[in-house]
Amino acid sequence: MDTSHLAQHAGTAGALFATIFVVATTTMKTMIPLRVFGILANVILILTAIPARNYLVMVVQLAMLLVNSYRLHQMLQLVRDVKKSVNSDLSMEWLKPFMIERNCAAGEILFYKDEKAEDMLYIVSGRFKLVESGIVLPVGAIVGELGMLSPSNMRTQTLECIEAGLILSVSYSKVEELYVQNPAFGFYFLRLASARLFQNIETLEKRLAQQTALTAEPKPA
Amino acid sequence: MSDRGILSSLRYLLADFIGEDDDTPPLLPEGLPEPVMAVASDAIHLLIDYQGTGYAQLYVDRLRRFVGKKGVDDAMLTEIARLMAARMSYDDLIRIAQLKLAGLADRSRTQPRSVDVRKFRLDELVSVLPAVIAEYVLDALEWAGWTHRNIKLRFSTASWFGILRLKIGAGLRRWRRYSVRYAKERVWVERWLHMIDRSLTRQPAAASEIVQTAAMIRGYGDVYRQGMADWNAIIDGLAKPTFDGVLALRDLAGAVAKARAAALPDPRQAALKRKIAEIRARVIADSYAGVPSS
Repeated sequence: MDTSHLAQHAGTAGALFATIFVVATTTMKTMIPLRVFGILANVILILTAIPARNYLVMVVQLAMLLVNSYRLHQMLQLVRDVKKSVNSDLSMEWLKPFMIERNCAAGEILFYKDEKAEDMLYIVSGRFKLVESGIVLPVGAIVGELGMLSPSNMRTQTLECIEAGLILSVSYSKVEELYVQNPAFGFYFLRLASARLFQNIETLEKRLAQQTALTAEPKPA
Repeated sequence: MSDRGILSSLRYLLADFIGEDDDTPPLLPEGLPEPVMAVASDAIHLLIDYQGTGYAQLYVDRLRRFVGKKGVDDAMLTEIARLMAARMSYDDLIRIAQLKLAGLADRSRTQPRSVDVRKFRLDELVSVLPAVIAEYVLDALEWAGWTHRNIKLRFSTASWFGILRLKIGAGLRRWRRYSVRYAKERVWVERWLHMIDRSLTRQPAAASEIVQTAAMIRGYGDVYRQGMADWNAIIDGLAKPTFDGVLALRDLAGAVAKARAAALPDPRQAALKRKIAEIRARVIADSYAGVPSS
């Protein structure tokens, strides 16, 4: 029995069905639904290419399926990690996969006070000093995480490398990109930044209270 | 044209290639003293012509840091405004082509057209290209050992071909902010401003002298490289160690002035290095003897 006409009909129906998903994909405004619909469209196009033995379409769609799946996994992991960070230690380590490595030599200035801030940094190794305050930052410290949200966008201190080391950096535009692409990430990122800000205020309040207590203490006669 | 139109969106998308969309000149910083206004205003116009409104805005933002700052009087602010404009409008191939073309437009038709021959180092020429290209070319030149080769370039308004070449050179302006040279100049200006800021905190009497060190760097080619090397030697040898508390130099202004006087057009910087070493040795000897260094 000749089944070629059945394969042809299945191919036409599949192509029509896939077209609906391709159109739906292009209408998505945010990244996660876009990737999900992209994956569905890839799967349907692969299935419709099988009866017609269209190997080129199969290979191209398979490659796209892998890319879409990896990106979706990356996005979901990012949201999960930021959410976890908000509820635990307020760490920014989840940004690491999006950061670029950079080696710094002793004496190198990473940025100057009052310069426009464009990226945030994560110290992996070496020693880095905030020049104006003389504070040496520990390994694992994040620098410039709040600068992105501040209206002036200016560095408040100069950062100098005093012992060669490695830093990771991510540009604000990359974080903005993640923020715009993914509303869930944006929401948790804002909560995290606010929590870190409140933590800073709390530390300052404690210091102020200590200082007030010290000045209020009666001096020995 | 509507700000939400398709053409406006396309302009935004291609802004990096076709240049800036916004041509509104930046305003002078609030609270700028009257004596500084003329210099700052001229600088804004110069930098708009040099690069664009965004670059002029960067100048205004940098100048704003010193407006009303403790220890900065009108005279010092005027000098910061003047010297910063001069350094931000550094001489590169693009600028020289721009000025030559501007001269062509201003000149009356009766005057003869001219040909200038200027000498550049090969790496200096390549550094005006966008970093994504220039970095590979510079690596290749380094590998071939041609980085320091001198090249003579003709800037001519005497023929249509010369004018075309000038226009191509001046056209590189839109990619200037992505160039290797721009990144270096940005870091230099920030470092100079940082040194002024630190001087105002650690040794206010030396701030004016630190401001004036910017005048050491000018031009292009050998003159530029010599000025830059001398400036780095003075800042790294005297100013930074003093601000870091490593060198107990009480009269930094005097020491910088003496070092500048010793800076000669010598690529080995022998006299300058000797003078810096001498000043440092005297400070260390005085600190052992318990005498305040001058």
